[in-house]
Amino acid sequence: MSFVTVNQLTRLFDLSEPWIVRTITGQKKRILTAVDCVNFQIEKGETYALVGESGSGKSTIAKMVAGLLMPTSGSVIIDNKNFNDANLEKASMNALRRKTQMVFQSPYASLNPRWKIGNIINEPIKAFGLIKDENDQHKRVIELLEQVGLSERDIKKYPHEFSGGQRQRISIARALASEPEIIICDEPTSALDVSVQAQVLNLLKDLQKNFSLTYLFISHDLAVISTMANNIGVLKEGVLVEQATPNDLFHKPQHDYTKMLLAAAPTLQNN
Amino acid sequence: MTIDRTMIEPLLEIKNLSVSLKKRDNISVAVDDLSLNLYPGEILGLVGESGAGKSMTGSAILGLIESPLYISAGTISLQGRSIIEAPENIRGSQISMIFQDPLVSLNPLKTIGEQLIKTIKTHFNISKAEALDRSKKLLSDVGIDPERIEAYPHTFSGGMRQRVVIALALAPEPSVIIADEPTTALDVSVQAQILNLLKQLCTERGTSIILITHDMGVISETTDRVAVLYSGRLVEIGKTSDVLQRPQHPYTAGLVASTPNIDPSSFDKKLFQIPGAMPDIDDVPDGCAFHPRCEHARDKCQKHRPPLFDARVSCWLSEKPGGTL
Repeated sequence: MSFVTVNQLTRLFDLSEPWIVRTITGQKKRILTAVDCVNFQIEKGETYALVGESGSGKSTIAKMVAGLLMPTSGSVIIDNKNFNDANLEKASMNALRRKTQMVFQSPYASLNPRWKIGNIINEPIKAFGLIKDENDQHKRVIELLEQVGLSERDIKKYPHEFSGGQRQRISIARALASEPEIIICDEPTSALDVSVQAQVLNLLKDLQKNFSLTYLFISHDLAVISTMANNIGVLKEGVLVEQATPNDLFHKPQHDYTKMLLAAAPTLQNN
Repeated sequence: MTIDRTMIEPLLEIKNLSVSLKKRDNISVAVDDLSLNLYPGEILGLVGESGAGKSMTGSAILGLIESPLYISAGTISLQGRSIIEAPENIRGSQISMIFQDPLVSLNPLKTIGEQLIKTIKTHFNISKAEALDRSKKLLSDVGIDPERIEAYPHTFSGGMRQRVVIALALAPEPSVIIADEPTTALDVSVQAQILNLLKQLCTERGTSIILITHDMGVISETTDRVAVLYSGRLVEIGKTSDVLQRPQHPYTAGLVASTPNIDPSSFDKKLFQIPGAMPDIDDVPDGCAFHPRCEHARDKCQKHRPPLFDARVSCWLSEKPGGTL
């Protein structure tokens, strides 16, 4: 069995007016199907990328895989455990949460502006009770900072003292703190400049090699995805319309929507 | 385009422009001795990382620089007349602007028709009925059903809103449009539509565009010429295909190399990365601003600021004729 199995994943959102308004105005319920029967697998140590336009359900899937949002139906099974399993004991639930971490799109919104970097990175270590001794915690935080290309000096600084790229490194260090096995990267570089984007993508690749991490990588940028993914899923309005390896997807796109996305992506080569 | 631009009079001429920021005890320079020409009918790209001074240059042209920032040196002239003293006279009428976020650039309380008619009536002395006709014409030009003239901005999608913003920018029939990251907030498929539309409308009308963006792909596919800015300075300028295919400045070369391409064979390779980050404007190094990040840096680069060689590149490596990277 694959390390991550997403099985018939579906999520509905109820966009209806309140009951009383519906009754008076005679409206029906309005249900939005954000994610519709999505299936995919990710092997351990590999990267699965989801691509699609805004509103295609990329981030909804990311949240469900991270256990932040409950699916309406279907399941996400990570290492044979399911977040939605009512019988799951608290300890295994915690273990599952420790294994799945997330890196968000905006490094400006995802770090608490009133916390020092040291505390931000130490939080998962304390929350999961990984290291009890404070000195050892401190050492581990420094080790994590160094792994993402920052240094011990940064431990007492606040997020606003860093540039966008450095903040995204801090987010990655925080995700690494709980020694995860899968990291969900939701548009991790779309707020960054190209030269910084290259630095962050290379860092993610290095970390994947060193810690045999599994990535669920979400992006709207096909060029970024082609440098990162082992497998790619193309989402359109909540439906996975095509699933292929980068080679097949970019050379022999099957679905019209994939062809359209490829044609629309601005590249340097066409000049 | 094959026309030799240097033979034509520039439409917009920026000479030695500096924009400075006054602080309690020092002055920092945000745009530093920038000279640029915009020729009739061309699309000029301004590219660089955040903080390179792209938007600041756009704001300076429109006279939108506000205290504590001020224009500390240089001239800006449109068709040979200086516009730096009274930018109100040209803002909107001769030079209009398209901003990044189409949601905040439209008035949410007025229908798009009201906004278009008001813009047209501000610039032309015509009756309301004529203004209405022109508004409908503009809407159909940008691909919006003229029947929707009484709709409010919130009823449009992001791409449609940006079309309305383009119609508003075109309404006064300006000679220059400054488009500041016009498609950054949009999806790729919509981005392609909007860029094509902008290009087509400006070709038809002979309007020049200054396209500000950080996206090398957009620059490559849309612009005729490109100016690369670094730390408020012009580092390289030239025909887009020349600059992107044969970059002369190490920074331009780095930007091009670090832009990922759609290339499945790149999977196992690492992306090229420029070490370090752009300096803060308080802390720009002596000499060439790029030298701490440049693998070709020599002693001269640390001490002396390079001039623009061959009207193309500001780098000491290009000092000798035929000198390349």
